Amino acid sequence: MHRRGVGAGAIAKKKLAEAKYKERGTVLAEDQIVQMSKQLETFKSNLEEFASKHKQEIRKSSQFRVQFQEMCATIGVDPLASGKGFWSEMLGVGDFYYELGVQIIEVCLALKHRNGGLITLDELHHRVLKGRGKFAQDVSQDDLVRAIKKLKAMGNGFGMIPVGSSYLVQSVPAELNMDHTVVLQLAEKKGYVSVSEIRESLKWERERACHVLEDLLKEGLAWLDSQASGEPQYWLPALFSELTSRDVTPEEANQMTP
Amino acid sequence: MSFEWPWQYNFPPFFTLQPNVDTRQKQLAAWCSLALSYCRHHKLYTLDVMEAQESPVFNHKNIDRKLSTDAILIVFEELRKKGNLEWLDKNKTRCLVMWRRPEEWGKLIYQWVSKNGMANTVFTLYELANGDDTESEEFHGLEDWMLIRSLQALQMDGKAEVITMDDGKGVKFF
Repeated sequence: MHRRGVGAGAIAKKKLAEAKYKERGTVLAEDQIVQMSKQLETFKSNLEEFASKHKQEIRKSSQFRVQFQEMCATIGVDPLASGKGFWSEMLGVGDFYYELGVQIIEVCLALKHRNGGLITLDELHHRVLKGRGKFAQDVSQDDLVRAIKKLKAMGNGFGMIPVGSSYLVQSVPAELNMDHTVVLQLAEKKGYVSVSEIRESLKWERERACHVLEDLLKEGLAWLDSQASGEPQYWLPALFSELTSRDVTPEEANQMTP
Repeated sequence: MSFEWPWQYNFPPFFTLQPNVDTRQKQLAAWCSLALSYCRHHKLYTLDVMEAQESPVFNHKNIDRKLSTDAILIVFEELRKKGNLEWLDKNKTRCLVMWRRPEEWGKLIYQWVSKNGMANTVFTLYELANGDDTESEEFHGLEDWMLIRSLQALQMDGKAEVITMDDGKGVKFF
């Protein structure tokens, strides 16, 4: 008797079955793709609807912006990640922060002459609002912080130093290390600081304290007051509360070097 | 109108000559500006260094800070370099402060003369600076030395001629 078993026929049959499975797999994949496209279309038009409804709000309301940002963070999207892009173009989020960034740079440049490139977030906020005028949309400190983070990422020399309950915004790439930062934080309370205060609060040696203060003088961030009773005091224009509301005078503007 | 002090005036370190060169430049520029506008506001044409030390400009009693004599002299030297100050003596104790230069004064005076159609009229210096007619003008009360320089500037321009009269000097405008 001639036995055939796993022979040519079986193989051929197997091959045919495999081919049919593959075809079916292709058909399946095609199905999926068609379905996914449809879903994407729906998603896109929903998003467009969302955008048109809320674009105004994004520009106008700082509260809405905060919530929007938080929502985006939850789904893993950064609307500010790229200048061009679905999110920023569709919703104008990028534009808003880009324009704010430009404003922040302008304010910092105008005052750099006075404060050496260091400004409190409060003062920055105050001046940005002033510059936007009565009919402008409101801008919160949260907005400023985000815009500054973006500027920092773009390498504009911006940085933020936590002091007290807020921040000092640095707009000039001065070489500030931990020691400088800590002294700035100490100075925030009264707007000035002295060698003994540093030694007392931070337990540093005299040399270290003097070195940091010298650096602050060199960077144009601090001025020396040698008529203070006891010992010299180092004052920071950025922390001088009287300056917050004082506009730049024409004379000051003339003195500014490009 | 009361005098408006710049923000630096209330900033204690403003009265200490700054060790950092760049900061010092800014400081001196601000001091020059302040000194000139103070003199302009109070119509001061001469300054005595000793007196200046005690004037509110350089001695801010409220914050217990004053500019040292050395620093004042440095500020004055800056003003001299910019053409706004002239020493009256070798020892640098008194100086003339020109918060407005002679040419600028001359221009103001001539404007008044033209506006009132007073060309070809002769004025005594007294009439010009202290007469009733000029009471509302900025150059009213201008001290003689500055008045003469201003008129001399106009003379160079061919707009006036300083003449000597019996009891002093006068000027004719063209």
